[in-house]
Amino acid sequence: MSILTYIFGWPLVAALALVFVPGNYRVVVRAVAVLATLISAALAVKMFCQFVPGANGYQFEQQIPWVDSLGISYHVGVDGLNVGLILMGAIVAFAAACCSWEIQTREKEFYILLLLMSGGILGAFASLDLFFFYFLHELALVPTFIMIGVWGRGERRNYATFQITIYLSIGALLALIGLIALYLQSGANTFDIPALIEHAKTNPMTVHAQNFIFPLLLFGFGILVSLWPFHSWAPLGYGSAPSPTAMIHAGILKKFGLYGLIRIALPLMPQAAHHWMNFVAWLCLGNILYVGWVAMRQRDLNLLIGNSSVAHMGFIFLGIASLNLIGVTGAVFIMVAHGFLAALTFALSGYIYQKTGTLQMSELGGLCRKLRFIGTALLMAAMAGCGLPGFANFVGEVTVFFGAWKEFPVVVVLAVWGGLVIGGIYMTRAVRTILHGPLPAKFSNLADATNSWRRLPYALLLAALFVFGCFPRLLTSQIEPDAGKIVSMANPLPSMTALSEAQNPKSDTRN
Amino acid sequence: MQHELFPWLILFLPLLAAAAITLFTLRSRALSAFLSIGAIVTGFILSVIFINANGWHFSAEISRTWLSIGSLQIDWGLKLDALSMMMLLVVTGVGGAIHVYSVGYMHEDSGFARFFACLSLFTFSMLGIVLANNFIELFICWELVGVSSYLLIGFWFERPSAGDAAKKAFIVNRLGDFGFLLGILTVWGLLGTLNFSDLHGQLTANPAALGLSATVAGLLVFCGAVGKSAQFPLHVWLPDAMEGPTPVSALIHAATMVAAGVYMLCRIFFLLNPEALHVIAYIGGFTSLLAALIAVQQDDIKRIIAYSTLSQLGYMVMAVGLSGPTAAMFHLTTHAFFKALLFLSAGSVIIALHHEQNIWKMGKLRYKMPITFWTFLVGALALSGVWPFAGFYSKDSILAQALAQHDYILFADGALVAGLTTFYIFRLFFVVFLGKEKSDGASHAHESPAVMTLPLVVLAVFSLIGGFIGIEGVYSGMFVGESGISTGFAAAIFEPFIHSPLAASLGLCLVAIGFFAALSLYAKADKDPLPEKLGGLATAMKNKFYFDEFYEAVFVRAHDFIAAVMNWIDRWLVEGFCIGLIRGGTDLTGRALRLVQTGNLQTYAFFFVLGVAVVLWLVLK
Repeated sequence: MSILTYIFGWPLVAALALVFVPGNYRVVVRAVAVLATLISAALAVKMFCQFVPGANGYQFEQQIPWVDSLGISYHVGVDGLNVGLILMGAIVAFAAACCSWEIQTREKEFYILLLLMSGGILGAFASLDLFFFYFLHELALVPTFIMIGVWGRGERRNYATFQITIYLSIGALLALIGLIALYLQSGANTFDIPALIEHAKTNPMTVHAQNFIFPLLLFGFGILVSLWPFHSWAPLGYGSAPSPTAMIHAGILKKFGLYGLIRIALPLMPQAAHHWMNFVAWLCLGNILYVGWVAMRQRDLNLLIGNSSVAHMGFIFLGIASLNLIGVTGAVFIMVAHGFLAALTFALSGYIYQKTGTLQMSELGGLCRKLRFIGTALLMAAMAGCGLPGFANFVGEVTVFFGAWKEFPVVVVLAVWGGLVIGGIYMTRAVRTILHGPLPAKFSNLADATNSWRRLPYALLLAALFVFGCFPRLLTSQIEPDAGKIVSMANPLPSMTALSEAQNPKSDTRN
Repeated sequence: MQHELFPWLILFLPLLAAAAITLFTLRSRALSAFLSIGAIVTGFILSVIFINANGWHFSAEISRTWLSIGSLQIDWGLKLDALSMMMLLVVTGVGGAIHVYSVGYMHEDSGFARFFACLSLFTFSMLGIVLANNFIELFICWELVGVSSYLLIGFWFERPSAGDAAKKAFIVNRLGDFGFLLGILTVWGLLGTLNFSDLHGQLTANPAALGLSATVAGLLVFCGAVGKSAQFPLHVWLPDAMEGPTPVSALIHAATMVAAGVYMLCRIFFLLNPEALHVIAYIGGFTSLLAALIAVQQDDIKRIIAYSTLSQLGYMVMAVGLSGPTAAMFHLTTHAFFKALLFLSAGSVIIALHHEQNIWKMGKLRYKMPITFWTFLVGALALSGVWPFAGFYSKDSILAQALAQHDYILFADGALVAGLTTFYIFRLFFVVFLGKEKSDGASHAHESPAVMTLPLVVLAVFSLIGGFIGIEGVYSGMFVGESGISTGFAAAIFEPFIHSPLAASLGLCLVAIGFFAALSLYAKADKDPLPEKLGGLATAMKNKFYFDEFYEAVFVRAHDFIAAVMNWIDRWLVEGFCIGLIRGGTDLTGRALRLVQTGNLQTYAFFFVLGVAVVLWLVLK
């Protein structure tokens, strides 16, 4: 069995096992969940370390035929595009399980759903078969709705559940239609992604079919990623979700749509991609600028974080839209970085909510005095969120700026404004109102996270941000070769010219 | 190159210290201070050894790949030449003195260890700026000094004013960085590299390589310096930054970080074309005048010195714009000595008066605080530019540069500012150290401990001799391409009078005028006599010419307004409309279908027959 099967299998098996544990064995329930995600995270780290950058084909690959007549098989494997995502996902899932101590009611059911989410989404990232890719994502998505509805907080949680369910279901449905159409149009009679790509190299889809299918995938996946103007589910949904759910959804699940775009849509439909990406480059400004401004207006910490997380998606779309090696590598890098960051911020806001009972920023203040550890971590997260060097997000954002500069200079100018200035404004404002200033008297007995077990999830996520922020080549050297393959498939013509240039050194005199 | 490892150690020791303090020694005050001071003092010693072994006229680059994606190659490298080595000495030397002083100043503070952690983080980032060999590495450290400055301005974060000042500094700096990053992108887009040496090489080989974008690229990069060095129109953050502890004001907001903008301009001087330089010179000149005028009417001891810093930074930027990076760096270096000295002396006064900062509540401190008195006097003389103090030489070289470039407007501006500088600093001096005691606190003041006065004395010595110990020679060898001016020690003392007699004598004249004006107005004053004489102008000066109010109205309100509109659209149009459509649509469909479901058997039978009829028609058609 491939190590990948274990990585996402452990949480799923644990979810199944928990069904048979009585609900009042609270310690056992929690221990099983934490242990399963810990094993999964440890295996993911091992896999990440053993991964050979730039090796041909997929690694840790495993394929078991299932429904031969339709061409469905169980097929898992990693390359540079998903190796970082799986590592991030497994670590975030572990952190989310650790942070679930805040759940006090119906714990067993909560942990079962949490494990389903983690296992499902990790499996979706590992899958190289369209059927499992989609099915495992749905398996992870549906618990989100239930968790917000049952364990959510705030007055608007029913509305939030309603909205997130509608949006994400429609997004998933559009993507499903697109994937089925893709299966039918490709004529390869297989759900296997590598086989589809191989097939497309010799029998590319007609431009007409591409122009029909690509928007389905773009907007279907786009809605799942909160592409502007289909974003309004995200801040509200995260604001109402229990923090472990928000951590996993904002951290991991949200990357599924982006991953799908890069993995499936770009290489299979290059002409349509070129056509649509000019449009996406401008749409992403909706995320970066518009949602950034909306974030400035928020009075609730979770809504602010939710909006800022939507804004960050804009940088990823910009990187993808640039359709070149630097941009796509940067986009994948931000996907990983943002996963850690989103999980960290939601975990911290969850802690603050747990202790103070409110996230209204006007009621908070001076928390750095009492919550030394949590406050410092939140400060670091805010700084990472507005692109401070040293944290992984900076590397990704700057890379995307460089990648998109030649293709969309005007968009980049505005995106830099959004990233540096607007991001800086709302993050420092949040720090000013929540952490700085005098401490309200009612919070004079707040307890900080003192023991190392409580601190572990925050420290782990921060450490991950630091490691990839200070040593980005740990990740880029893995992403780059496979991003290169995607880009060369998405740009059939330029790569041909590059090839001919390489064969004909005389034409290389322009430098 | 000998001792290749040393520059790496100099750079990374402070970072290690910061990490170690944050992770392990927050509870131990002594150990934290030891780690932080140890790192920077070791850095100073290693710098001295390194420079001794390799000499000043040596240039090298060491680098490791940091990020490499396709054509985007970013190194983490160290560029060692006269410029960076002299700055190493300044940062670790002046910084070391301030670190030691901080032990005394922060003695009673509960955040002692946190303070030293931030200080060490700052030292690392500043050394990174100094040693960077490419734009992105510089930008990274640039942002990191920004954040250390943010953390230290907001060090007493319980005070709302400190939190606000920190936020303001961060955001205003980000405005400058916005331009800076775009400038970096422009340069990379046109020349395909970020390494300073490569860029220099390309531009030397083909001066027109940047084409029409040359001016734009130069000015965009300059935006970074405008933010960091607090030049007009982004000067508003620096006076507010005085909310931080005084050692921070001395180290970050006077001696080193704010000078980073000037350093950066000198580092990339080859990139700036004459048009860009012209703009730079006038922005610098205008800032120096504006800030000097504001300084005349401030009452907070630290704010006066802060505006003075702005004004002096304006000088340096003006010098760069006048194609005189040597003069700019020379003034940067001497300014680091005497401005750090002025701030630390002010800090000594502030501590003695239990955190009183209003100069009109001080007075007659001369006999109670003799060391502080004398060191402050040295600093004030150096700042004014009185021969033979350090400031005289560097300021003179800037004025001489203006004359050499035949830019008489800027020369007049520079000379006028020299007079104003003397006036406001001696206003401060007379009111604080002479005259009558103006409050109880002033009559009970006493001298600070040795850990604070020793750094003062060291800095005072350098403020006295810094002008003629060959600092300018080190820099000029770097930029002009000739070996340094090798005059003898005694000749160096009188060199300015021979080199450009007009600049030197006119400068000294204005200093004298400023001094006597301050003497006649303030030697015995209990309250400020100037507002009565100047009227509205004095009010405008006191209110900093209303820049804060103007920005508040334009920039902040505009952003808040856009944000409010966007939020409204988001809430009512995007969310309301999309959701409303889906909800309404589903609802409407449901209602429509409900009409069909009447429960009436006859209706069902009717629809059934209708359906059969339609099917039959379709089949038989």
